[in-house]
Amino acid sequence: MPAAISIRGVSKRYGPVLAVNDIDLEIESGQVYALLGPNGAGKTTLIEILEGYRQRDAGEVSVLGYDPQRQRGELNRKVGIVLQRSTPMEGLTPREMLNFSARLYDHPMNTDEALELVGLTEHADRRGSQLSGGQKRRLDLATSVIGNPDLIFLDEPTTGFDATARRQAWEVVRGLTERGATVILTTHYLDEAEHLSQRIGLIKDGRIIFEGDIAGLRREMETDTRISWQPPVGFELPDLSDLLPEWSDLEQGPDGRLALPTQTPTVHLARLIDWSRDRGLEEIPELQVERPDLEEMYLELVDDSQSLEQAEDS
Amino acid sequence: MSAADTLRTIRLGFFYMVLNLKTIYRQPAALFFVVAFPIMFLVIFSSLLTFEIGIPEEAGGNVPVVKFSQYFVAGIMGVAIFGTSFNLLGTSLAIQQFDGTLKQLAATPLPKASFFIGLVGTALTYTFLQLVIMLILGVAAYGIELPDANGWLTLIWIVLLGVPAGCVLGIAITKVIPSANAAPAVIQAPFIILQFISGVFFTLASLPSWLQWVAGVFPLRWIAQGLRSVFLPDAYRYAEPGMSWQLELAAIVLVVWIVAGLGLSVLTFKWDRSG
Repeated sequence: MPAAISIRGVSKRYGPVLAVNDIDLEIESGQVYALLGPNGAGKTTLIEILEGYRQRDAGEVSVLGYDPQRQRGELNRKVGIVLQRSTPMEGLTPREMLNFSARLYDHPMNTDEALELVGLTEHADRRGSQLSGGQKRRLDLATSVIGNPDLIFLDEPTTGFDATARRQAWEVVRGLTERGATVILTTHYLDEAEHLSQRIGLIKDGRIIFEGDIAGLRREMETDTRISWQPPVGFELPDLSDLLPEWSDLEQGPDGRLALPTQTPTVHLARLIDWSRDRGLEEIPELQVERPDLEEMYLELVDDSQSLEQAEDS
Repeated sequence: MSAADTLRTIRLGFFYMVLNLKTIYRQPAALFFVVAFPIMFLVIFSSLLTFEIGIPEEAGGNVPVVKFSQYFVAGIMGVAIFGTSFNLLGTSLAIQQFDGTLKQLAATPLPKASFFIGLVGTALTYTFLQLVIMLILGVAAYGIELPDANGWLTLIWIVLLGVPAGCVLGIAITKVIPSANAAPAVIQAPFIILQFISGVFFTLASLPSWLQWVAGVFPLRWIAQGLRSVFLPDAYRYAEPGMSWQLELAAIVLVVWIVAGLGLSVLTFKWDRSG
């Protein structure tokens, strides 16, 4: 399969801020690719360069074989775009909107099919002003896919949704992907990427810092398991270090709690148990063995990134 | 562009127009301010000011006597022709630039030409409706006399040139509108001033010459003057600048606005200010 998107050395600067910094990326046809990153990481800028909304400063871009900067008209016939913000079509009904949209494309689905796909059949003839936020979002999805696009951009399709609405939106997106189109999803929710995509690009400070599948991301972000417990009263720290000199990483919190980060938790736990039994301690107080989940690691990773949002907005 | 492309552009422009007509039709506020306003003005002024103008032969004059409404209908129709397109496009485009509607539209294969065809078509349709209502009301309630064949022809070309010229200004003014909320105010200010200096409520000759010049740059003055030639007896042209209806000049000014203005404002039009 040829690449749906192929970019090389793409950069975009806003004043002093390099919002997209020399990015190379290949996205295969038929894939659901999630571009993941915190607000202001540069993902919207990158996506809008691919969609044709923004001009790049440098680099080569090919989207379905077109340069979005120069061949946007051709590209628009084959691409569906769901923007972050819903289009307020207050006076029109979903059916009217979709009937109009269908006329713009060469090989559209019919309106009923599109309504069915996003679950709006029973609301098809309500005015836009009477639709809920989630229903409007589903109309956005239907509008963007009615032309049977080869490539769909979904920019934060569930931001601002409650848990139930997100699950429903995911179902809809899955329905779309089963039709065989390539989907580029941007999100700052890791679980959304995990549920919907086969491949992930993690973008931070204008650079792609990881690319691969979710298991690869897990391995990449692999951190140590922590064994922690509350040492008994009168317990001295050097005491323990003498016994287990390899436990040099032992950390003590302000409440006196001891924690040991380790990659071999079973071995160390066994030693800790032996050691405490030797001291007549049957129960180790407040013993915990924990491993930060992916979401936590992801948040930690993206947490410190600088906000480019204002630069992107201007 | 091939013939098939041209046909597609016109066809999609038509469908976009239909979509627009529906949207506006379902917004009571837009419908009232844009469509009903000039009609209301015609009703109020024609009801209040029932005197006649002119100097009859018995009084030793040779200015045919007509009702004031016969004079006023020309000006207020000018407001309808210019204002509907100016207001409608200025307001709705500004709002759609800021709320992301045009950003979404720019991602579809709707040709830009179809978009502008649809807009002009929308303005033409609503203007046509207004003029028909005004004529029916005017004739039935206020004794307005309909034009002769020549007058009808003039009326038609003034509508066909005046509406696109108003559209051009509506598109152009979006550039100085800072936010969606500011749109109505930014549009009403120049519109009201133009009405006062373009011979709608007061005769052009009563204005200082520099104001006449300012008004002469914009379409409304020429539209209103052309309409007076449609509705008033020929002798009234002596009250106009240059003692003539200046129809050729009106046509030239409107065509220049459409050709130069449309090209320029379409090229520099912003599809997305939602960021």
